[in-house]
Amino acid sequence: MIAQINIDYALCRDPLNCRKCLSVCPSVVFVCGPTKVWKGQESDSREYKIFGRYYDKCSGCGDCVKVCPANAVQLNFVPREQLARKFREERAAQLKER
Amino acid sequence: MCWVCEKYGKGGKWYLNPENFARRLYKIRKEGKEAAGADADPQAAGMGAGVVAELVKARISGDREWENEIKREALEQAYQTHFGQVVTLDEYLQILDTAYPLAKMTCGCRRVQRGMPDEENFTCMGIGPGMYKWERWPETYRGGVEFVTPAEAKEWAMMNHKEGRVQTVDVFGTPYIGGLCQCEYPGCVAVRNRIDYDFKFLLKGHFVAKVDREKCTGCKSCLGRCQFKALNLEVYTSKAYIDLDQCFGCGLCVTACPSGAIQLLDRQSMPGLAENW
Ligand code: SF4
Ligand code: SF4
Ligand code: SF4
Ligand code: SF4
Ligand code: SF4
Repeated sequence: MIAQINIDYALCRDPLNCRKCLSVCPSVVFVCGPTKVWKGQESDSREYKIFGRYYDKCSGCGDCVKVCPANAVQLNFVPREQLARKFREERAAQLKER
Repeated sequence: MCWVCEKYGKGGKWYLNPENFARRLYKIRKEGKEAAGADADPQAAGMGAGVVAELVKARISGDREWENEIKREALEQAYQTHFGQVVTLDEYLQILDTAYPLAKMTCGCRRVQRGMPDEENFTCMGIGPGMYKWERWPETYRGGVEFVTPAEAKEWAMMNHKEGRVQTVDVFGTPYIGGLCQCEYPGCVAVRNRIDYDFKFLLKGHFVAKVDREKCTGCKSCLGRCQFKALNLEVYTSKAYIDLDQCFGCGLCVTACPSGAIQLLDRQSMPGLAENW
């Protein structure tokens, strides 16, 4: 099964300073990157956003859900074949548009 | 010689060619949208990571043709603009005599993927004229930069090698080399994408490591040095084993061996590996 990791961004307000889910994850699934880049100043830590980028590597241990102080991480699992079918359909649609 | 040497090496290794460290200073860009905060894709953070979201989808779908097409297109772009290659410590030290200025900076990959706080994360080296404009783009150099002398840089490079980080050269506008990195799996996005998804944004180095089984005592000192999953212990013979196909030629295992049992060989001298970048 493949993880579907959803972060509730209304609850996860300052991910670069918190980043507990990212630090605890044994599979290094998360990335926390900036949504804005400024000239002459660093991005505010609240302009960062966290994603389960390598969700295909998620073991399903559940630690990210447990460690999140804001209850912002939601974890669901779907059968690999179901997701594979969805992506193959996306790809077919892409090819059709060429 | 790899294809980069053929194009930009002037008969030698491209990253030892002084021309590839020189560049006229960047034009002052007109006050563009960056001044007002340009949008960035947070999922694309880290070295060569713009392609990950698509790559993961293709991987899950099982469609190899799709995966190959993503890589082909992304690499065609990357090799013209921004990619990296593994170098040995000796080569790295030579580069420090060529490149100037030298400035320690924080590592973007380990910040966005490992949450390393800036104070503990000065594991990148920005080099060349591009560094003079660092204040214009503080987010790229988050946590600030620290200009160092070549002697300080060398000491720091040797410390990084000792601690077990792989050293790489990084191109910013081919063939201009603007960065020297100290990387590891899985914190480095480029190393991780190469190992886990075979995305060749990071090229293998010009050497490969080979074990002399006569000399190897099985002491295990080299175990844990390899960031590329190429080295382990053959338990039944109690000898170190290196997968030559998988070796990136960083030399980290070589300096860890007290018996001189691992040797770095020129990749070109091994016909079976000569094109394995
Ligand atoms: S469930 Fe475990 S492996 Fe998966 S993202 Fe969360 S911490 Fe990482
Ligand atoms: S642990 Fe929760 S609040 Fe903290 S960064 Fe992760 S999702 Fe956001
Ligand atoms: S040092 Fe390695 S891990 Fe850090 S930014 Fe450079 S490539 Fe990425
Ligand atoms: S086997 Fe040795 S030289 Fe080869 S990649 Fe691993 S540590 Fe580096
Ligand atoms: S450090 Fe040298 S002697 Fe010890 S196991 Fe590795 S190769 Fe063999």
